[in-house]
Amino acid sequence: MFDRDIWQEIFYSIRNNKLRTFLTGFSVGWGIFILVMLLASVNGMTNGFYSQFNDDATNSIFIRPGTTSKAYAGFEKDRRIQLRNSDVEYIKKSFPKDYEHISARMFRGTSARYKAETGSYSVQAVHPDHQIIEKTIVTKGRYINMNDIATGAKVAVIGRKVSEDLFKDDDPIGKFVEFNDLPFRVIGVFTDEGDDNAERGIYAPVTTYQKIYGNTDEIDGIALTYNSSYDLTKSLEFSGRLENILKRRHSVAPEDQSGIRIWNYAEAFSDISSFTTVLRVIGIFVGILILIAGIVGIGNIMVFIIKERTKEIGIRKALGAVPGQIIKLVLLESVFITALSGFIGLLIATGILALVGPSIQSPAFTNPSVSPSIVITATIILVVAGMIAGLIPAMKAANIKPIVALRDDK
Amino acid sequence: MIKIENLHKSYKMGSNSLHVLKGINFSVEEGELVAIMGSSGSGKSTLLNILGMLDGLDEGSYVLDGVPIKDLNETKAANYRNKFLGFIFQSFNLINYKNAMENVALPLYYQKVGRKERQEKALKYLEQVGLKEWATHLPSELSGGQKQRVAIARAMAAEPKVLLADEPTGALDSKTSYEVMDLIQKINDEGNTILVVTHEPDIADMCKRIVHLKDGVIVEDKKVKQVRASEHV
Repeated sequence: MFDRDIWQEIFYSIRNNKLRTFLTGFSVGWGIFILVMLLASVNGMTNGFYSQFNDDATNSIFIRPGTTSKAYAGFEKDRRIQLRNSDVEYIKKSFPKDYEHISARMFRGTSARYKAETGSYSVQAVHPDHQIIEKTIVTKGRYINMNDIATGAKVAVIGRKVSEDLFKDDDPIGKFVEFNDLPFRVIGVFTDEGDDNAERGIYAPVTTYQKIYGNTDEIDGIALTYNSSYDLTKSLEFSGRLENILKRRHSVAPEDQSGIRIWNYAEAFSDISSFTTVLRVIGIFVGILILIAGIVGIGNIMVFIIKERTKEIGIRKALGAVPGQIIKLVLLESVFITALSGFIGLLIATGILALVGPSIQSPAFTNPSVSPSIVITATIILVVAGMIAGLIPAMKAANIKPIVALRDDK
Repeated sequence: MIKIENLHKSYKMGSNSLHVLKGINFSVEEGELVAIMGSSGSGKSTLLNILGMLDGLDEGSYVLDGVPIKDLNETKAANYRNKFLGFIFQSFNLINYKNAMENVALPLYYQKVGRKERQEKALKYLEQVGLKEWATHLPSELSGGQKQRVAIARAMAAEPKVLLADEPTGALDSKTSYEVMDLIQKINDEGNTILVVTHEPDIADMCKRIVHLKDGVIVEDKKVKQVRASEHV
């Protein structure tokens, strides 16, 4: 393989047939280029889909109460289910190993006023864990902490848009803003990867809001994240258990879908995953078809080369070349051309991706790129492809009878 | 050196079979210079191809330098060719993208001789045929006579037991022909065994023995007084 003479032969042959070699190489380089671009596009779509969902922790589950649709356990249907603080404690106690973060949620609208500026916003009253569940990014100040919960402090974390609306260029931290005429101290400003709308929201401690709204223990929902080591089956199994136990606790019929609703992100995610997997398979399939066209092209041209070199191969055999040496020569040339041109295609494709990819940030298509494993796989495919392309012509060459080749006077 | 007994060879041409060689008995001693003559279709080229292991035989036996040549597969035939035989062709059959020295060195490459030694040997044989200063020229830059001399150097380079020349002067004018024959005679003078296939009587006369083939059998096998080619140059 590292025989200097064989390489000299290959370079001779390439140098003397520049156009032919170029055309041969082009088909393979093009095939690899398209394969890589296709896979990168699939990656881009996948990234796009995931970034749409990445707004929340991907292992989150949301529980919302509804109205029963069936009579059950002595209760009539159309009964409103009310979640309470005790439900949060109950989940904590029942599933200590399954949940990672948990937070109650209350949703209230409010009109907010700071000096002359007013606006109406939605307030979510939550526990500190909610920051992780919603992936809220605090850019200034801090989020709600356990102390705020314990004391029921009138503090608020406001969205970036709220801050812009009410405070203009002022620093809102430490300022007092009135929510429905009650003064709240701003302790932080947050942004949200999700969208601008989320930045028009306000977070407050859940205990504070429960005190304001009649000293209640009622909550509007529960958000939690499950153990991040769980796979899809385990997470679905966990949300199933969660549903059963909450339905039993609130006397909701097990088959009643509207009494308590549990929204598991994993389900939505598994749909997307299978969708992108199908996309990827299609991408690989189409790419390989294109590559096969390239390989057939190389095989074709190699057959032509052999035909052209029949006499030369005959001479070599007359001089004592064994079939193995002829096969090696033809195979190595084909592998060399395939690998080199494919590699150039690969380099151009990855180069374009590296230059253009990061700047593509549309919602459905984000950062198309290829992983090193794809590059390595493509390289292996190339070498194997070169072997396959060269194999039939090489066998043909090895079987050339020197006597026939030498008689072939042209 | 060469011993052939009862050699038969026929070719299939569609449904017909063409019996080309019909029982040849023939032997060559070391150091001989034999001309094989005959009109076209007499089987002389077929005989040479079988001698050169470029083609197989149907019946009979062939012993080359004490080695029985039979049951050849491609690899074995290639190794024997490389070890025992040097070929000189009518159309030279040089590899057109290799220069003279590389062409001469090629059989040595297949003998797995090291690169440096190969080049030295190739230059030595080029010098013998008087083309040392043409070593780096491509075949397209050489005249017909020069090409054939390179081909002879190539055939010599592997130091074969027997040189087989198929119409070595067929593509050359008479003056160049004599030059090439002069070279072949000189090589023979050094003790090399050479077989020359030709249909030109004047070339045959420059050998030491003439074998006449007609319709696949040897009709005449005689020793002749050698005409030195140098007298004509």
